[in-house]
Amino acid sequence: MLQKLGPERHNGIADTLIVVPAFNEQNNIRGVLREIQASLPEVDILVVNDCSHDSTAVIAREFDGVCVIDLPCNLGIGGAMQTGFKYALNKDYQYVVQVDGDGQHVPSEVGALFEKMQQERCDMVIGSRFLGVDSFRTTWCRRMGIKVFYCLFRALVNTRITDGTSGFRLYNRKSLQVLARFYSSDYPEPDAIVLLKKHGLRVAEVGVEMRQREHGESSITPIKSPYYMAKVILTILFSCARARR
Amino acid sequence: MPAGSFDKIQWLGIIFSLIILISVIFLVRERLIKEKYSLVWLLIGLFVFVMSVFRGLLEGFSALIGVDYAPSAFFALLIAFAYLLLLNLSVSISGLKAQNKAITQEVGLLRLRVEELEKARTRTDL
Repeated sequence: MLQKLGPERHNGIADTLIVVPAFNEQNNIRGVLREIQASLPEVDILVVNDCSHDSTAVIAREFDGVCVIDLPCNLGIGGAMQTGFKYALNKDYQYVVQVDGDGQHVPSEVGALFEKMQQERCDMVIGSRFLGVDSFRTTWCRRMGIKVFYCLFRALVNTRITDGTSGFRLYNRKSLQVLARFYSSDYPEPDAIVLLKKHGLRVAEVGVEMRQREHGESSITPIKSPYYMAKVILTILFSCARARR
Repeated sequence: MPAGSFDKIQWLGIIFSLIILISVIFLVRERLIKEKYSLVWLLIGLFVFVMSVFRGLLEGFSALIGVDYAPSAFFALLIAFAYLLLLNLSVSISGLKAQNKAITQEVGLLRLRVEELEKARTRTDL
């Protein structure tokens, strides 16, 4: 098999779709799309505008070669990403990379995701802030949370995951087929790991660089975070308990 | 049991249950509730009606389950009914939410498809 180290284009048709879920990202989306086009000229880009009430969609449409899906109701990150999965399957893309619309993910790291997928022959690769690369400053509280999730994933699905909530991911067609059918709307990232493992697919992680948010606030504040943790843990436990369909 | 011997509370129960029953039948007739969901409500209405008319039933029932104060047994049963009803509604809402999500995604995908087709058409028109 040929060494595959990144997205490719055969006869003008890209095999990789970058899905950018965006909700009220008018300050970030232009930079994100510019950066993707500059560092990954061989991919197609789909922006899923999750019913933003600012000019996110207008800005995204200014770009050549960027498709925009406007959802008529706000579905949350899970529902928005799943729309992208369905689109990718309809259009016969082989790979999907999720790059968030807030600018935390660095598009030039996509190559690292592909390399890992090739090496480990796995079906989903997670870009982790905490593995190897030491560029992400974080609080003690957050580190505790990460530790809890790490132990949970090891115990439940026997996989070492340091950054289970990271959205910077590469999916192949096999995992897209599963996730286009089942993808939870509220806390999809940790849930997807369990789901894919239960379908007998392989999940791996690779250390990548990530940025602090430039504009806007993280949706998780210190007061809300124990609540967030509890809900995510509950979601993971439920998806473990659920029978495979 | 002659009607004259009904207590005030029995009359209240009878009137209340008749209001429930008539409202439910009216709502189903006007297609404001699906038949499927009307069933539980009709059962509650009938239950209250029967219990109000035949006082002895409730006393016999509460003695059977070992409750000294008969109205408590009545309330406990009604609360159990209400819980079942709420659970039923939660299931329905979750189903609606999933359907709603799928439709929303489909609308988004179709919108993009229409845009693409329109673009392709204006190109061939030129």
